[in-house]
Amino acid sequence: MAEKKSLGKEFSKGIIAENPVLRLVLGTCPTLAVTTSVSSAIGMGVAASIVLICSNVVISALRKVIPNKVRIPAYVVIIASFVTIVQMIVKAFVPALDAALGVYLPLIVVNCIILGRAEAFASKNPVLASAVDGLGMGVGFTVALFLMSSIREIFGAGTFMAGIKDLLAIFGDVSFNGFSVPFLNENPMLIFLLPPGGFFVFGILMATVNKLAESKGKPRAELRGCEACPMAKNCNLHSCENSSKEVNG
Amino acid sequence: MEMTKGLVSILLTAILTNNYILAKFLGICPFLGVSKKLNTAMGMSVAVIFVMALSTAVTYPINTLLVSRDMEYLQTIVFILVIAALVQLVEIILKKYIPALYSALGIYLPLITTNCAVLGVVLLNIDEGYGFVESMVNSVGAGLGFMLAMFMFSGVRERMEANDIPKFMRGLPITLVAASLVSVSFLGFAGIIENIFS
Amino acid sequence: MKNMKAKDIIIPALALFLICLVSSALLAFTNSITKEKIAQNAVETENASRQIVLTGAESFGEVSQRENGLTVCEAFDAEGNVIGYVYTSSAKGYGGSIGVMIGYDTEGTITGIEILSHGETPGLGANATGDKFKLQFSGKSGPLTVNKNSGEGQNIQAITAATITSKAVTSAVNAATEDFMKTIGGGNNG
Repeated sequence: MAEKKSLGKEFSKGIIAENPVLRLVLGTCPTLAVTTSVSSAIGMGVAASIVLICSNVVISALRKVIPNKVRIPAYVVIIASFVTIVQMIVKAFVPALDAALGVYLPLIVVNCIILGRAEAFASKNPVLASAVDGLGMGVGFTVALFLMSSIREIFGAGTFMAGIKDLLAIFGDVSFNGFSVPFLNENPMLIFLLPPGGFFVFGILMATVNKLAESKGKPRAELRGCEACPMAKNCNLHSCENSSKEVNG
Repeated sequence: MEMTKGLVSILLTAILTNNYILAKFLGICPFLGVSKKLNTAMGMSVAVIFVMALSTAVTYPINTLLVSRDMEYLQTIVFILVIAALVQLVEIILKKYIPALYSALGIYLPLITTNCAVLGVVLLNIDEGYGFVESMVNSVGAGLGFMLAMFMFSGVRERMEANDIPKFMRGLPITLVAASLVSVSFLGFAGIIENIFS
Repeated sequence: MKNMKAKDIIIPALALFLICLVSSALLAFTNSITKEKIAQNAVETENASRQIVLTGAESFGEVSQRENGLTVCEAFDAEGNVIGYVYTSSAKGYGGSIGVMIGYDTEGTITGIEILSHGETPGLGANATGDKFKLQFSGKSGPLTVNKNSGEGQNIQAITAATITSKAVTSAVNAATEDFMKTIGGGNNG
């Protein structure tokens, strides 16, 4: 019973309390880049989650075998392998998603969330807990991308989930292909889809989340200069410490 | 002439219109993380330019080899390992032989391995089908564009320090909104590029 | 002591080597499964695009390479008569290379175009994939120019706020038309 409860906690912390994007401020690159449409955001979320769960499981299973010295390169190889496998599967079965994500699909390798979870969680915890942690973080990442992309697509293009049909094609023929939002469809606010819109929506979203967190007595999400970086432990940089202090302070 | 024009076009596009930070969203972590002071921002940028150019020079022949052996699927894994090894190697060499340069740049090097702009530029060079010279120009351009964005943004942030910002916007939210405005200014470059090369 | 040190180096190196070996084997295995499916996808998309740019064609001949990265293939109707040609061409747009497929009838009039690949900005340049822009090309022949106001005659009306993309697509089409006139068109007209 106690075991079950703690697993539930590992899962749910990733979605709200420690949401990788909105609370830990990790993986900002894909959050800004692929959120111009809900369908590509969901695709990215699912692809990254699969990589996250698989790499967490493997790294956790090998945590006693991998020598500490070559820990980081070993994690990188494992993560890169899963990313490539996911990439090949996506190319073969969901080519529309491959076209939508482009270079951001292989770039999941350098998504800080994945290496960050490997270092912070999977390298210290048993397999099942790591898998659940990966699932929770993956769902949290997907939820954040979904929120961002919903705002951007509805205001910027006047549609919601357009093109989801190509994504669901692996589950057979789906007729649902998103909604079109009245009024905004004829007069889309294009700036939301453009790069400035991405930064702006993310900023407003962070402000809202911070406000909500404060009202619950939780600390605000802050960008953590270096300690968020999985390489931080390997670099005993005074400037690194300074920069993170600057950001936090 | 035609060749030079093509290369200048690649360079300017990479710096201005397709700026890796502000248009492609690659390298957002250092952009938000180390842009608070001008000198740290510049140190990071120089290190990024250096690593980008070096990684492209090294991965280009490796990619040719992979393609000739029909093993393109190993690209991601090989490139990230090569970049990581390269960064380590450069760090060791600098530390031992050019300590002055090491003290200026060395501290930023370990952070660059997980910088998606570096892997991004290597992968995009292949996607675009660039030759060796074009790839190098594109990488240096991407690095210079990174530097320009960091330079502008650190200026903005230094000014923001003194301002009275509403409490709920303080910290990360206002930084992102400021980044949005810097990004708007880069949209204006599209017209310039268009009229130079047509 | 010395022995200890060698062990400290060999074991991590060996572990890393083993991980790389297993990973590469796994990737090679996945690649062998997905390779054919990926190649098949590419062929299917290309065939589907060919049908769009040249409706009425039943089958297509072998693809031959031309200079400047152009490719061309003949299109046949049900009886095996040549009814047109399909070109693929590319040009540099705002966000990278744009791949375009163009269909011609035997006279060199464009029957349709299709955007095969692009990295243009969503909401702006990406609108080039919309029918409103693509259909302008159908029925036109000879060199085309981009115009901001009208799509009459030899003009192609630019997509709002995406002139670079419009110009890139048009120049890709023009390159193919030029090659058509030089090789196929020139041959027919003496």
